[in-house]
Amino acid sequence: MGRVTQILIANRGEIAVRVIRACRELGIPSVAVFSHADARSPHVLLADKAVHIGPAPAAASYLSMSAVLAAARHSGADAIHPGYGFLSENAAFARACEAAGITFIGPPAGVIERLGSKVAARTLAQRTGVPVVPGATPADQTNEAIAAAARTVGFPLLLKPSAGGGGIGMKTIRDERALVAGIDQARREAIAAFGDGTLYVERLIERPRHVEIQVLADEHGNVVHLFERECSIQRRHQKVVEESPSTALTPDLRRRMGEAAVTLAKAASYRNAGTFEFLLDGRGDAASFYFLEVNTRLQVEHPVTEQVTSVDLVRAQIAIARGEPLPWTQEALTQRGHAIEVRVYAEDPSAHDLPQAGPLLLYREPSMPGIRIDSGVVEGGDIGVHYDPLVSKLIASGATREAARRRAVEALRQYPVLGIRTNIAFLIELLEHPKFISGDIDTGFLDSEGGALRARSAPAPPPAAVEIAQALTAAASIETGSAAGAAAAARSDPWLTLRGFRG
Amino acid sequence: MVEALGQGRFAVVDTARIRDPGSGIRHSRAGSPGAPSVVEGTPGTEIRQLQLAYAVRAPGGVWVFIDGRTFVVESDAREGGDRVHRTDDQVALSAPMPATVIAVKVARGQDVAAGDLLVLLEAMKMEVPIKAPRAARVKAIACREGELVQPGVPLLELE
Repeated sequence: MGRVTQILIANRGEIAVRVIRACRELGIPSVAVFSHADARSPHVLLADKAVHIGPAPAAASYLSMSAVLAAARHSGADAIHPGYGFLSENAAFARACEAAGITFIGPPAGVIERLGSKVAARTLAQRTGVPVVPGATPADQTNEAIAAAARTVGFPLLLKPSAGGGGIGMKTIRDERALVAGIDQARREAIAAFGDGTLYVERLIERPRHVEIQVLADEHGNVVHLFERECSIQRRHQKVVEESPSTALTPDLRRRMGEAAVTLAKAASYRNAGTFEFLLDGRGDAASFYFLEVNTRLQVEHPVTEQVTSVDLVRAQIAIARGEPLPWTQEALTQRGHAIEVRVYAEDPSAHDLPQAGPLLLYREPSMPGIRIDSGVVEGGDIGVHYDPLVSKLIASGATREAARRRAVEALRQYPVLGIRTNIAFLIELLEHPKFISGDIDTGFLDSEGGALRARSAPAPPPAAVEIAQALTAAASIETGSAAGAAAAARSDPWLTLRGFRG
Repeated sequence: MVEALGQGRFAVVDTARIRDPGSGIRHSRAGSPGAPSVVEGTPGTEIRQLQLAYAVRAPGGVWVFIDGRTFVVESDAREGGDRVHRTDDQVALSAPMPATVIAVKVARGQDVAAGDLLVLLEAMKMEVPIKAPRAARVKAIACREGELVQPGVPLLELE
């Protein structure tokens, strides 16, 4: 049983804000950590204390175990919530916390280690009779040995960082020709992102759905699942839209997948919150599912589950870390209504979704019934080059999928973000796509439809936009007294000169 | 007609006076599906359709948000005078975003073919390759490995 009287949040951005809010609700003092780039970020301002842990690059700050542990020591925190990414699935960090007498709010180090290794997780699944996708992590990690393993698994295949998560550094290899260059690139990206270049080779099942099961386990042997999240809308293996329930699951399939996840969690002596990912081939009772991997942390998309189950997953994590038993049995948990999450990214859909860095000159979150926004940014702040380009997560809830979908669209239409390009218009087009509306989606959806969605999300400026731009430019020129500006002002509407500009 | 409401908010105002039954505003809101609305009413009635927009000025243009869509209306060259016209080469050979140089794959004086990898950048945990837009000789290299580079600043020059 762990002591949890002051929690350090070893993260930044929206997830740090999310966890700090939970701490405040529970009356537990919170400690934020921040890099040089985040000195005035919302998570820092919201926490009870804040500790500077290093320069902007994550390797020297949010990924530095010694800096985070020193911050815990100096601030008096006796528990650490790692959020997602960064140190959240680092067994060495969980172990270092244990050694320092700090409660790590997550699974024990040994569990992270066993399940963080995709090989061990697969072996566990095979032992417990849960089906898996063909694949291997070659013990010999030379290019030749990885290429040999790739040929055994068969094309098309995926090269994945063995230590990874979130789709970062994953490469699709379709044939022999792309293999060698692909191995080098995958290894470099694995080292850059996770400090570990070990690669995993896996058969690619074309057009599957990605369906994951949320699990909670306490230290008294109680394990429950909180149903599924459908995460098939991905690009480059990074999720863009998540929802619960999945349109592909029948009650029986849901029960079987949930039971498979609970079986695996029990076999792994799992503790705290975890997500068991499956590939789903087909839909309904005839579908087959394959266990993929376990994410031994809170997921980015956890709000979707919170909205349909009314379970606060962060509070549950803290309660479990304190040694409390789960307050519900499986039978007491229900899925009610529907929730859809869209991830608002700072990226340019018209330029291959390239991540964007820059200032949030204007940033206004919509507020309306059934809309939850988890964000860690404010107007006047910026999206930096050093971290994930996630701006926020917009979660729409409704009695039905269609109600939630329409709410999400309406909220996005009232979500101005200026100064940096985002995927907001793209998300609207996506949510309005006939295939999305009908729920006919798979992980190939964005590969096949993304191009058309991008084109539709970037129309030419309408006359009103041009008119506003001209008015603003003219007003600014008047302020600076430029002759060209005066000429422009003379061409524009008289309201500017008559009424003054207050923009 | 647009009206500034303050704090970056603008009203796009469309006004019409109804003359005959069936006349009025024929206006479709940007981005919304469906036919333009036709307002019917007593002749002489003034009908207004207002739409909220948001806008800010930034270097290079004005950012405008209307109904879920963002437009960057570039500054007019005659007025701003600071608009840079770049050739395709220059665009291709600069970083598309702030990034770190992982590797410079060519040397000064080297001949490269179209599509050859010149510089490998990394931004936000992703590799971004900068490739040769055409066959050319490398005239100069303006970046080095490990350097943080800004968008628009040339990484190297081709002859």
